[in-house]
Amino acid sequence: MKYIFWIPLLFAMVSCSDKGEYIELNQDEKLLVTLPSNFPPIVYDVNKNPPTKFGFSLGKKLFYDGKLSANGFISCGFCHEQRFSFTHHGHQFSHGIDDMEGTRNTPSLANMAFFSEYAWDGATNHLDLFPIIPITSEVEMGETMTNVLQKLKDDTEYQKEFNAAFEEGGVNHENFLKALSQFMVMMVSYNSKYDKYVRGEDDVSLSEHELQGLYIFKEKCASCHATDLFSDGSFRNNGLSPNPRLNDLGRAEVSGNVNDNYKFKVPSLRNVALTAPYMHDGRFGSLKSVLNFYRNGVQDSPTLDPLLKSEKGLGIALTENEELSLISFLETLTDEQFINDERFTEY
Amino acid sequence: MKSFYKISFLLFLLVFVSSCSSDDGGIVELTGKGMVKIEFDNSMDGDDLLLSSSSYTNSQSETLTVSRLNYIVSNFSLTDEYGNIFSYPKDSGYFITSEESGNTEVVLSDVPAGRYTSMTFGIGVDQEKYSQGAEGQGDFLTVAEETNMMWSWQAGYKFLNFEGTFTSPTVTDDKNFKIHMGSHGSSLDNYKETTLTFDTQALVSDDLSPIIHLVVDASFILDGINKISLTEQAVIMVSEEKSPKIAVNVSNMFSVDHVHNGNDISH
Repeated sequence: MKYIFWIPLLFAMVSCSDKGEYIELNQDEKLLVTLPSNFPPIVYDVNKNPPTKFGFSLGKKLFYDGKLSANGFISCGFCHEQRFSFTHHGHQFSHGIDDMEGTRNTPSLANMAFFSEYAWDGATNHLDLFPIIPITSEVEMGETMTNVLQKLKDDTEYQKEFNAAFEEGGVNHENFLKALSQFMVMMVSYNSKYDKYVRGEDDVSLSEHELQGLYIFKEKCASCHATDLFSDGSFRNNGLSPNPRLNDLGRAEVSGNVNDNYKFKVPSLRNVALTAPYMHDGRFGSLKSVLNFYRNGVQDSPTLDPLLKSEKGLGIALTENEELSLISFLETLTDEQFINDERFTEY
Repeated sequence: MKSFYKISFLLFLLVFVSSCSSDDGGIVELTGKGMVKIEFDNSMDGDDLLLSSSSYTNSQSETLTVSRLNYIVSNFSLTDEYGNIFSYPKDSGYFITSEESGNTEVVLSDVPAGRYTSMTFGIGVDQEKYSQGAEGQGDFLTVAEETNMMWSWQAGYKFLNFEGTFTSPTVTDDKNFKIHMGSHGSSLDNYKETTLTFDTQALVSDDLSPIIHLVVDASFILDGINKISLTEQAVIMVSEEKSPKIAVNVSNMFSVDHVHNGNDISH
């Protein structure tokens, strides 16, 4: 296990008076970002925005604050629920203000600091800028960045917290986005049964069935769901038939390139047993349906990923038994410690 | 002894040089810092740009009535007569000029004294800035939001927002056009820079704050080196083919009309 150790930073010198112990109230301290030994290198530059105790708790407060939306009720945490690895369980699409519906399924926030592209279509390549998308989306939080800032500026508690969290204090967009990132950067999910097995911790072993699933996974899935992040971060068309009501072009909506039509970011599979429904549009209710789709449902199109097309046909060949093994393996990616981590809980 | 002569000679030279520059009535020495104002005077092919009023016919037989012309200009640098380059601080180096709000002037403060002969600036937001995330954003998001320049679904900025209505030989009823150009996430960088040479040097010092008057020919956006037909496509927001062409056209729409030297703020 490898950690970045942050030397505790004392914003104010702690002085020892004659009367005995004296605790300085304005004492911030840097937090430690976990870098699991089985993960690829972190992408987010924590030196530019090092998480601190106050910055993190400000970010958490913002994350769970409905003020970030037009009607005052929809917070980030409304769609990103911790117990489902920060996804919107049971909701095909994100639900926003006035009960409007988005067009895409809420992705998990686990391990975002290890990725370089955000949202299903890579609408931004910096975690700091990501919150702009849901906040300003008419069907999600329906607010403007300017209004959100005004509401925070009018709140004396927030004023204090912004000043405590940042050396160059003040309620501004820079600090607002940095605080949210500090909260998200700390969300590292790395203690699933699988993790402990690969790191050789606590004598954890996988069952015969799970191991068989792991071998099938490595052979048939890991070229896209690569590394222990279980995504190579690329955009691919996996052969889903486009939903005619939406005709979501995915990556092409950002790039404007027809060669990107119907490509979406390969999602991480961490905690995947908890994050139903599946796919960018949440069309599948179970992992079984997902695997059935890869076996039988892949549709050809000019941008279909070449890995899903061979002389033998489209999709991924799996037997019934292999499918069951795969599902047992995928269930070992559930990280109970992460979904119960009190640092991230709302209350 | 030798060094004594050397020093005397240097002292003599110093007195000689300094007397030359201060007493002779030759070139005035510029010291301190000053302000540089850059006026973006928007026009259409030689005519003044009047929003939602005048119409303009271009070489593609399309007649445009413009209702919005906003663009981001950034990363200004000034080059003096000796080739020294002064780069304006990046953290405060992003500006939005907006014809509808009347905000068409960029003010660069604390520019070191000098005789500047050319200026380079960017149109849009460069990848380096994007890669900094929240760092150095300041209140630019607020300004961008107020001027319809925030591209929320790209989590970024529109570099150009050009809107209005048009008619053409085949489009006889007024039809809306919208040209929003910016970078496409990590897949396409549409940031461009342009360098303009001044006809007269822009003089900056504690006492001198020049105004650089640029003429911006907005007809270039569609009718520049690259021809963009509104009849073919009236709403261009994310087009891998057309957006880069528009970016090139836009980078060519600026020219220096004249430089005011002096210290009168309004000229």
